Amino acid sequence: MAAADKFSKESFFASPLYDFLSPFRPVGNQYYAEYVIVIFALVIRCAVGLGSYSGENTGPIQGDFEAQRHWMEITTSIPISQWYWFDLKYWGLDYPPLTAYHSYVLGKLGALLNPDWFALGSSRALETADLKSYMRFTVILSEVALYIPGVIYFTKWFGIKRRQSPIGTYIAAAAILFQPSLILIDHGHFQYNSVMLGLTVYAINNLLDGFYGPAAICFVLSICFKQMALYYSPIFFAYLLSKSLFSPSFNIPRFISVALSTILSFCVVFSPLYVFGGVKNVLQSIHRIFPFARGIFEDKVANFWCVSNVLFKYSQNYTQQELQKLSMYATAAGFLPAFAIVFLYPKRHLIPFGLAACSMAFFLFSFQVHEKSILVPLLPITLLYCSTDWNVLSMVSWINNVALFTLWPLLKKDNLALQYVVMMILSNWLIGNFSFCTPRFLPRFLTPGPSVSDVSESYRRRSFLPNNLLWKLIIVTSYVAMGIIHVLDFFVQPPKNLPDMWVLLNCGLGFSCFALFWLWNYYKLFTMRNTTFSAF
Amino acid sequence: MVKTTKKLSTSDPAIQNKPKLSLWNFWVSATLLKLLLIPGYYSTDFDVHRNWLALTNKLPIKQWYFEDTSPWTLDYPPFFAHFEWFLSQFVPRWVQQDGCLDIVETGNFGLPTVMFQRITVIVSELLLFVALQIYINKSSLSERSANFVVASSIVLSPGFLIIDHIHFQYNGFLFSILIAAILAAKHQRYLLCGFFFATALCFKHIFLYLAPSFFAFLLRVYVLDFSNFKFKSYYDLISIVQWKNLFKLAGVVLAVFGVCFAPLISQWSQLLTRLFPFSRGLTHAYWAPNFWALYSLLDKVLTLIILKVPYIHKCLTQIIAPPLIPATIQEIKWKLQQYNVGTKGLVQDVYFVILPQIQPKLTFLLTLFYQVLAIIPVLFSPSFKRFIGSLTLCGFASFLFGWHVHEKAIMLVIIPFSFLVTSDRRLLTPFRLVVSAGYVSLFPLLHESSDFLLKLLYTLVWSIIYFLALRQVTKMSSSVQRRVFFFDRFALFYIIMLVPMVIAVQLLDGLKWRYSILQKFEFAGLMIYSIYCSIGILSSWVGLSWLYNFDEPLWM
Repeated sequence: MAAADKFSKESFFASPLYDFLSPFRPVGNQYYAEYVIVIFALVIRCAVGLGSYSGENTGPIQGDFEAQRHWMEITTSIPISQWYWFDLKYWGLDYPPLTAYHSYVLGKLGALLNPDWFALGSSRALETADLKSYMRFTVILSEVALYIPGVIYFTKWFGIKRRQSPIGTYIAAAAILFQPSLILIDHGHFQYNSVMLGLTVYAINNLLDGFYGPAAICFVLSICFKQMALYYSPIFFAYLLSKSLFSPSFNIPRFISVALSTILSFCVVFSPLYVFGGVKNVLQSIHRIFPFARGIFEDKVANFWCVSNVLFKYSQNYTQQELQKLSMYATAAGFLPAFAIVFLYPKRHLIPFGLAACSMAFFLFSFQVHEKSILVPLLPITLLYCSTDWNVLSMVSWINNVALFTLWPLLKKDNLALQYVVMMILSNWLIGNFSFCTPRFLPRFLTPGPSVSDVSESYRRRSFLPNNLLWKLIIVTSYVAMGIIHVLDFFVQPPKNLPDMWVLLNCGLGFSCFALFWLWNYYKLFTMRNTTFSAF
Repeated sequence: MVKTTKKLSTSDPAIQNKPKLSLWNFWVSATLLKLLLIPGYYSTDFDVHRNWLALTNKLPIKQWYFEDTSPWTLDYPPFFAHFEWFLSQFVPRWVQQDGCLDIVETGNFGLPTVMFQRITVIVSELLLFVALQIYINKSSLSERSANFVVASSIVLSPGFLIIDHIHFQYNGFLFSILIAAILAAKHQRYLLCGFFFATALCFKHIFLYLAPSFFAFLLRVYVLDFSNFKFKSYYDLISIVQWKNLFKLAGVVLAVFGVCFAPLISQWSQLLTRLFPFSRGLTHAYWAPNFWALYSLLDKVLTLIILKVPYIHKCLTQIIAPPLIPATIQEIKWKLQQYNVGTKGLVQDVYFVILPQIQPKLTFLLTLFYQVLAIIPVLFSPSFKRFIGSLTLCGFASFLFGWHVHEKAIMLVIIPFSFLVTSDRRLLTPFRLVVSAGYVSLFPLLHESSDFLLKLLYTLVWSIIYFLALRQVTKMSSSVQRRVFFFDRFALFYIIMLVPMVIAVQLLDGLKWRYSILQKFEFAGLMIYSIYCSIGILSSWVGLSWLYNFDEPLWM
């Protein structure tokens, strides 16, 4: 009886994940659960990697796969002073230096196996099965080294803090590791987002443990891997500043250590560029990293500018500079409340909410956003799978589905439709979101439901929907709309004068869901500002 | 609602604590993973099965076994051909346009065909889930969770994943029939058992290797009755035969064979040459990890030693008469030149330099000898466990000593063994050895680099889960004999060392271009695989045979 009560408090009770992991509940077996989760997560990543990557077999100018390969080619073959200058028309390096170093190491490793893969010039647009395997392998390696241990540490920290059962924390970790969007973008489309996100998770972990200097270093490294991590920076800044200034009291050593480690790690990362190319080289890299010359949004993306552009053509009414300013003000207005709350109430359980609010504001309102940038706000949101609050879990699972949905046009272009469908079903099914369609009319031996765990026969798991009726309505409506858009996209030709009709609908729906979630997130942040950890 | 649930659970803890043990969740997750494997690598077996789809669809039944436009001629028994015909009825138009049903020399097809055929594998494998779910549901409460572990270990088996869903075959479906036969035997439905096994034979004749055991078991438990037997004269032998049962069983089995082969009776010789191609060599494309792999290793080592130290040859010729061993060093060198062995492992016919050549007859006799050894105890006391033991040993004998053995045939050992392993903890060590070595020996089937991490990680995680789970559900040793701890530890060490072996071979393969010596030994990787794995499989066989023949209480 008491046991049943305890179990039903577990957030993913009676979901397939719970079911699979419940044999590991005995203390002697817990040791294995972690490895089993991680290896299965890797197996799924390998299997997704069998699919095509961006621009596979499409001709000379290809997608991100060729970009990453090309960077390995140039970093291993030409001196550092030329990295940010070399043939900028053809996938010139436009990520911060840590990406370049990462490419350098992986390129050198790959050249051990086959030097043709990264030979300067001759390897352009090279596509062989072995090269693909190697590149896929490097993504998995990077993720195993950074993202996965970070996530597991995070879930364990929360689990211990909340006296959750170890299996509960492993289930949360598995739910986070099976997040479909990151898997599809990194291992399908091909990018190394897990490195940036992994470093950010390390920074969060260090904040949780109260190691402020290391947190600053990890976060700087994250920015230096991919500038998109800047979406998080106001919150890290607010938290570190407030911890140094007045909570609990003014702490000079901490302040100095944070400031020094931030500055020093930036210096260390950029120093090779300076040493081998002087100031000009550093400036060129920064110029490459922040391409303000580009438009306010690229392609179709579910943010404010792209969606409202349908009604109001920005490019006709404003100059590029005006638009930049406008987006800057909008973004600042979007993240400042989160900044203020985190600054005034630097509580550890507020960190994921604060990061989510802030990075979502950047995603919705800032300049030059890609559809893939949704991964940035999605990270702190997904980390909230550690929560035990049904409403929070429901919102997280919902926004994960919306985010995956907004990636559909991109994945369709990459021929990853199968992987998209499978990952959508798998991730939702694992956390128990399909429990509503449990067919009870089947014979008993086929009736699905928990198969290994000791969930009582009559227990019926709810799908993840919040308790609030309004939210229930919104979420169900959005799912229905997604279904309709998919059906339209599959069966109906868009009107001739609006060839991007379905993509725009996709973006519109995505934007409204993100905006609603963002408001909810703010509400949560505001109401939780005075709570203690146990309320989370 | 919640309240009633709680009341129910407090009043009857048994209900609350009894897991449902359905394979549903395993099916969903496994199927999703298998869907992701669709765009991956497939072997020539894919085109083989596509060709069979085409020829059964396009040609009348009389021509199925004569058609030879493609080198991939039909060499499975008629039921499987009918199965292909059945599948071909569901080929949608857009897959047909893709070239799925063209009878051509080499298939010319694209993703739609791949999708269709991969999905037929996934769907036909449902039968395996159903058979095993019945196995779970029919088992008694005390052994239910153990049986569930066994069943789930089979449906998630890396063997099926590698062979069926990447390499491409229909083993999941075919083995479900064999499992049905085993289930029928377990529940004493002997007619059904005979029916299922005959059906399985008519689908894939490789199950013939298991036939002696089925024959002996059914004969002893169903046909012969020794309960009232007292020997007075030889006439009494007639009375031990239960003639009614004999006719029933023979009727069922012969009816199955009749349905299967009667339409093709006029072309039986053609059928036989297709089904039993004896022209093939001793070893398959790559050496299956069996006894002959070790035999040829010994031959190579002896050749090397004798060429380096001719004195040993002199001593040996004193003991062994020359026809069994080359008479002079010159002869060895001549033979070496003749066969050009030493570097090549990938030849259809293997010749031995020092050791005697192996004839098909010898392999056949060896197999039969060890199979007879395995079925004799069944004839004396036919318990279900003993039957499964003999089944496993029959599989072992055919795998270890057979002619032209495929590495895939290891499933013939692993699947029966799975049904046995939970009965005693001492069986765990041989089981672990054979599954780990057996599954790893399947790795060379997928030689593409894209599958490397997948096959390694999947097998690894399967081993972690099921080594742990099986240890928890197996009963402690029933006999007082002490376990040989040294052997257990050594086996564990062997299993762990499989991982570095696999990685090292892959690295050697990757670095081949760099070092010319690696190119010279192009097949060294495959040799390492087959020799290392054969050690594990052979020791597993020895371990199981020991327990089978000398440990009485285990089998009662």
